[in-house]
Amino acid sequence: MSDLIVSTLTQGLIYALLSYGVYITYSVLDFPDLTVDSSFPLGAAVTAILLLGGVDPWLTLLCAAGAGAIAGLCTGLIHVRLGVRDLLAGIITMTALSSINLLIAGSNVTVERAVDTIFTSAPVMALLGDLTLTGRKLVVSLVLAVVIKLLLDLYFRTKSGLLLRAVGDNGTLVTTLAQNKGNMKVLGVVIANALVALCGGVVCQEQRSYSAVMGIGQVVFGLATVIIGISLIRFFTRSKGAQSLRKTKGLRFLATPQGTTAVLLGSILYKFCVQIAINVGLPANMLKFITAALFLVVLVIAGRKGEEIIHA
Amino acid sequence: MKNLKKLLCGALSVTAVLSLAACGGQSGDQTASGETGGDVPIIGICQYGQHGSLDNCREGFLQGLQEAGLVEGTDYTIDYQNASFDDNLAIQIAQAFSAEDAALMVGIATPAATACYAAAEDKDIPVVFTAITDPVGAKLDAGNITGTSDVLPVEGQLELIRALQPEAKTIGIVYTTSESNSVYSVSVYQEKAADYGFTIEAVGVTAQSEVTQAVDSLIAKGVDCFSNLTDNNVVGVLGSILEKTNEAGIPVYGSEIEQMKMGCVAGAGLDYVQLGIQTGKMAAKILTGEATCQDLPYEIIENYSLYTNSEAIAKLGLTLPDEIAQQAEEVGGQA
Repeated sequence: MSDLIVSTLTQGLIYALLSYGVYITYSVLDFPDLTVDSSFPLGAAVTAILLLGGVDPWLTLLCAAGAGAIAGLCTGLIHVRLGVRDLLAGIITMTALSSINLLIAGSNVTVERAVDTIFTSAPVMALLGDLTLTGRKLVVSLVLAVVIKLLLDLYFRTKSGLLLRAVGDNGTLVTTLAQNKGNMKVLGVVIANALVALCGGVVCQEQRSYSAVMGIGQVVFGLATVIIGISLIRFFTRSKGAQSLRKTKGLRFLATPQGTTAVLLGSILYKFCVQIAINVGLPANMLKFITAALFLVVLVIAGRKGEEIIHA
Repeated sequence: MKNLKKLLCGALSVTAVLSLAACGGQSGDQTASGETGGDVPIIGICQYGQHGSLDNCREGFLQGLQEAGLVEGTDYTIDYQNASFDDNLAIQIAQAFSAEDAALMVGIATPAATACYAAAEDKDIPVVFTAITDPVGAKLDAGNITGTSDVLPVEGQLELIRALQPEAKTIGIVYTTSESNSVYSVSVYQEKAADYGFTIEAVGVTAQSEVTQAVDSLIAKGVDCFSNLTDNNVVGVLGSILEKTNEAGIPVYGSEIEQMKMGCVAGAGLDYVQLGIQTGKMAAKILTGEATCQDLPYEIIENYSLYTNSEAIAKLGLTLPDEIAQQAEEVGGQA
């Protein structure tokens, strides 16, 4: 039983990296970025090929993030410099990238058990060698998810981070501050896709496999976790009083430690919903339906509680 | 600071509630298996998606376990899950199997098998796969894993096409670039085609929506026939492919019995129930401790059957040579 909680929690923590990325584009920048569906497998493809080439597993993650950053740069530049609409810019990069992914790693790659991953690498084994593999996966992904959350929180407080938040919220303000709105957008999309590809790299190491279709539906997952997470956070912040109501009214106001916590929780909750659906033991074909029903319940409960306070 | 505290409270309570819910589900399962008699080993079956061939594999597998003399309820219980063609779902399903200490995991189709193999690593649970065309390419041929491979009988198919269309020169194939089984099969076709005097015109697509366009382009190029693989994406729209090819008067050959039922003229195909039975028997040996995965190298089904759809053959003005008609099974589907 505890195994199941540990492995589900691990999934939630790993995918939180992707959720942070989607959160930056969708919530902070107000940029619906569809690059994600391809930058996620891009990270996995790069990681898989480098792992098989004997590259240090931690270094492969850096390379994966770098590849994702380039993908984000393409989307950003297509939008800002070539003036293509944001949604379409993402679609163009996503489409082109699926060919690139096939070029890099083909349709499937499996990493044998003999190859070390971040979960079996020397420094991790030295520190956590006594734990089972499942246990090590949990600790490593927890550290990754928390460290990256804290780094993002720090970044949002820097001048660049504040400008990034302002771009999504009030672009004119950024222009009046004599800053280039376009550059900030590009930067945001770059960071977001670096995170998404990083997540792809970690998933590849955890699953010891890459598949060209592993990115399908990741945007939807990311959006769901952002929305679920933010609804939850509002639920808990509102229930103790309405003083923070105004502050949390717009999604974009949440570009704070609260926001990153929200999507981290959202990601974990999402994976638990899926696991619960698997475990209720209904007919196998009903899995997706049950998952959807669970989300609806979460959103309605969180939403209703919020409303009560508004009307009170 | 106050907010942080609230957040932490919230986070903890959510996790607690979830754990309870997960516990509830799990303990329910345990009592269910308890009723059937103590410590019955669990076989976790993760099927990649809903698909005629894969369903046949699973049914065959269950049949194979019974043919090996095992009895459900006393010798094993089945935990069957279907991942709806979702890789992430397959991962979580496999992890649930590991958490309930399954004695054996079964992965039907490559993504399901890789997910099972990853989840099985920690506890070294044996994994049995089926419906994987290229286990060597997928690196599932060594370690605590074995199973059966469904390599398409390409030479049988080429021979069959030659018999029905003695004048044909080019064979069109539409496949999905991300399905490793298809990529592998196409490479086999390209390698063998010349031996039978054919050239292959293959078009790779990335999504189901592109399949019919690819078919149009091949019809425009003037291919003499199509050979349809077991590509999940393409098989999904086989009906509309056949509409187009029938209009153009081009025969389509299938690779599995269900495809002939849908209107392909003929095909050399595998019997997936048989594949499943063979897999089930292997699994039974592992479950009873008679053998380990290391003792059992993965098996390839070599016997294939010929299937024909005489109505479709007649409609396209082909003649079926007698010696093939005698060997082949007439499926009698729609034309």
